[in-house]
Amino acid sequence: MSFPFSRRSFLRGMLNGAAVCVALPVINQFLDGKGTAFADGTKLPVRFGTYFWGLGLTDTPTGGTRWVPSKTGFGYEIMPELESLKSVKDKVSVFSGFRAIGDGRPNLVHWSGHASILSGVAPGQTGRFDAPSFDSVIADAIGTSTRFKVLDIDASTSRQPVSYSTREGVTFATPETTPLALYQRLFGAGFQDPNSDNWKPDPSIMLRQSVLSAIKDQREVLMAASGKDDRVKLDQYFTSVREMENQLAIQLQKPEHCEACVVPTAPKETPRAATVDAVRANARALAKLLAMGLACNQTRVFNFVHTAGVSETYLAGESKIYHQITHDEPTDAKLGYQPETSKLAGMVMEAFGDFLMELDSVKEGAGTVLDNSLIMAFSDTGYAKIHSIENIPMFLAGRAGGRHKSGQHIHTTGESVTRVSLTAQHLVGAPVGEFGSGSMKTARPLTEVIA
Amino acid sequence: MPIKVALRRITETQYRHTIADVFGPEIKINARFELEKREERLLAIGSAQLSLTSSGFEQYFALASSISDQALGEKQRTASVPCRPANPNQADDACARQFIERYGELLFRRPLTESETLARLKTASMGAKQSGDFYAGLKLALTSLLVAPEFLFRVETAEPDPANRWQYRLDAYTKAARVSFLLWDSAPDHELLAAARSGAIHTEAGLKQQITRLTSSPHFEDGVRAFFMDMVQLDGFENLVKDPSIYPKFNQKVAESAREQTLKTVIDLLVHKKRDYREIFISNETFINRPLASVYRVPFASAFSSSSSGDWIPYSFPQSSERSGILTEVSFLSLFAHPGSSSPTRRGIKVHEIFMCEPTPDPPANVDFSRVQATNKGTIRSRLLDHMNNPGCSGCHRRTDPPGLALEHFDGLGEMRTMENGSKIDVSADLYGAKFEGAQGLGKFLHDDPRVPACLVSNVYAYGVGRKPDYQDEDYLSDQTKAFAGNGYRLPDLMMQIASSSQFFKVAVPGAVKRASSTSSSASSSTLSSTQAASTTPLQKMRRSLK
Repeated sequence: MSFPFSRRSFLRGMLNGAAVCVALPVINQFLDGKGTAFADGTKLPVRFGTYFWGLGLTDTPTGGTRWVPSKTGFGYEIMPELESLKSVKDKVSVFSGFRAIGDGRPNLVHWSGHASILSGVAPGQTGRFDAPSFDSVIADAIGTSTRFKVLDIDASTSRQPVSYSTREGVTFATPETTPLALYQRLFGAGFQDPNSDNWKPDPSIMLRQSVLSAIKDQREVLMAASGKDDRVKLDQYFTSVREMENQLAIQLQKPEHCEACVVPTAPKETPRAATVDAVRANARALAKLLAMGLACNQTRVFNFVHTAGVSETYLAGESKIYHQITHDEPTDAKLGYQPETSKLAGMVMEAFGDFLMELDSVKEGAGTVLDNSLIMAFSDTGYAKIHSIENIPMFLAGRAGGRHKSGQHIHTTGESVTRVSLTAQHLVGAPVGEFGSGSMKTARPLTEVIA
Repeated sequence: MPIKVALRRITETQYRHTIADVFGPEIKINARFELEKREERLLAIGSAQLSLTSSGFEQYFALASSISDQALGEKQRTASVPCRPANPNQADDACARQFIERYGELLFRRPLTESETLARLKTASMGAKQSGDFYAGLKLALTSLLVAPEFLFRVETAEPDPANRWQYRLDAYTKAARVSFLLWDSAPDHELLAAARSGAIHTEAGLKQQITRLTSSPHFEDGVRAFFMDMVQLDGFENLVKDPSIYPKFNQKVAESAREQTLKTVIDLLVHKKRDYREIFISNETFINRPLASVYRVPFASAFSSSSSGDWIPYSFPQSSERSGILTEVSFLSLFAHPGSSSPTRRGIKVHEIFMCEPTPDPPANVDFSRVQATNKGTIRSRLLDHMNNPGCSGCHRRTDPPGLALEHFDGLGEMRTMENGSKIDVSADLYGAKFEGAQGLGKFLHDDPRVPACLVSNVYAYGVGRKPDYQDEDYLSDQTKAFAGNGYRLPDLMMQIASSSQFFKVAVPGAVKRASSTSSSASSSTLSSTQAASTTPLQKMRRSLK
């Protein structure tokens, strides 16, 4: 089936000339056979993000689960640690029973789990991935028409800022860590209001483009006579140069009108603090800005870290950090789980609930930013006390423009986490047939959640 | 044919020092730098493995424009540009060329090739024509130098050794940069570049002359500071947080002061006073300022009678403070602790790692810590005893915990205490059969332990060459350690000695170097091979496709 006009002119017609900068929920007949693109080949303008938090959720070997619903399919019941998802439950699918499989590689504590989820390969070394994180593949597919191909954010306020996004497995993105910094990046210098009536191209941008062409001229000379690892590094460097060029080229185009875009005011600088409450507040402020960044079409792909694998967040006045508590706290014989740990896990998930609600609060077309997004949320471990990489909690949130049949609980017994990762890539239209390697290699997305 | 043997991303301090040296210290550098990564204990080794992400490039691009605007602003341009354009409203290739060649050499740490110069001339000329401003064009050319990979990375290059045609040697400019970054944490200056240009740096006398000049300069302090920042892992202070309800005295001023205190102490002892390196573990000489005085409980009315809050004064820890050496300063004690408590294990791991070059493996994944219990009873020693007695844990904890337990009279911020939860804290320790008592005992132990100077020697070498020493370096390092002892463990002598040794410039040809003139990769020997597992990962495929 083919259309005599472009997707954009189609949407324009539908909205009496008022184009929005993102798609309305997609109706199947407009999709191609695979359902990943419009019939004219244009990619679905859905947003994708990862959301990471450290230290898993409670599901103990003695059977005390605090997050795995007993009911599968639609209408799963809200478990104690997922209380914060209640109001957006219909937009969230829960995945339980998935595991990272090492194929003989050791379980690198607080690393193997999310490295497997993101790269599809059990890592050989802490601090490195053996394959690119798949958000970069999605960014290549859907992130090239916005000013930022991908945005990295870390709300944790502890130790070194963290991102798990990498293209070559060694260098990871440097995230924004404060609302003020994120605001400046999104809405500071270089931001062009998509709803402004008097847009003019900035001539200085063309001059800046010439700066980059001088560099690109030298590429071949540099690549020649370099070692293999250095060529990988140079290739990453020149990818970054290309992305900057793309960013400048986009800034020379008149931005599309975005009805949902309301440019926020600059947030105040906040003191550094890492208590669970402080991280929650920081995450919420960051989420609010991110939601508007998405609505204003500044980016379509993001990675959001709530806390790192070895989470250093803590309860005010408590001398032990959350990470220590997960290990040290004994399992309560009657309850079958660690009560303090479970309480903290629930508090950590409150930030995820906030995050989704911020995205859901921005109305866009017939739905919300959350409806037009897909967020894959996951942790580094299942049961943190023993660094388990079995049953790592994973979620897909948002309706992905109608592609995600959300609100389900999908349970397996020990299937690879990469199946969820592959499902996410399919849901946002990344051109990926299979994902992962070894026992985690899969070509089978979870079709139950794909419309 | 020259080959490139390493690509080392310049660090934040190297970037800052270079810009200050080239354009003057008044240039403001306000940017978020790419994260650095510690590998094998050192950021210097990590920086030889890292590339640049797109968000990082975006930051460096904005920073480069800002530096160009400042360096070529109305006021600065007379000083920055070595010539005057014939007409400031037009392009002037001759003057632009002078500028590009001069700053290109300082930033790339070698003369530009003609094609590199021409590329920037084109940018300058186009910019000048489009904007009707010679200096606007020049700014673009400078920005393009500042975001070039040849500036943001140290491209280390080797050439066939004229003395031995089967071997490579580092080329003169790479040698100059190694020496300069080790001793000054900055790019080579005009004089060092001249020594590279003339080839003097390849001679023993020429190299020695430069090293002596560099170590006699005030910039040498910058080099030693950068090295200690890296080795002692003092880069963690920007992100340090403490629970204000437990440590109300902690704030960002205290954190910054703590780092500065340790660096000042080290520079004073080792550079100014040229004392034995091992004294950093036992000396009670230090400096304090007002923010720190409260943590150290020094009545500052008497100590700081005439100074303002930002000022530092020399200070000696009294015997009663139980403090001596840098391990008893707030920096080490607060950095290697938790937000709400001390951590003997973390501190102990860091003592072994940083000062004795002994790594601690990750704990086993499935360990059960359940018996390590409540923090509101007794002292931490009793809680850690379980680790020491649990067979899965004891191998490491018997080694890691004793130095940390000896430091337990200092809480998670570094304040003195003798009791915890109403119990007296026992600070006795037993490590490798040596028994000692408290922080001062630990300092004495480290002072006398032969692993400690050997570790420093290994760190200085690894820091300078940007890679982990391997078995081929063992004899060399052992000789250097003996020479270090022979020189009375003086750090400046050690750095000079290493910088002037041929091993410091040894070439390790990386795997699969693609020759510029040939398609065969069999010609290169490989002394550095990547340690990948046998299975083929997507990344390996990606790497292979880049060959």
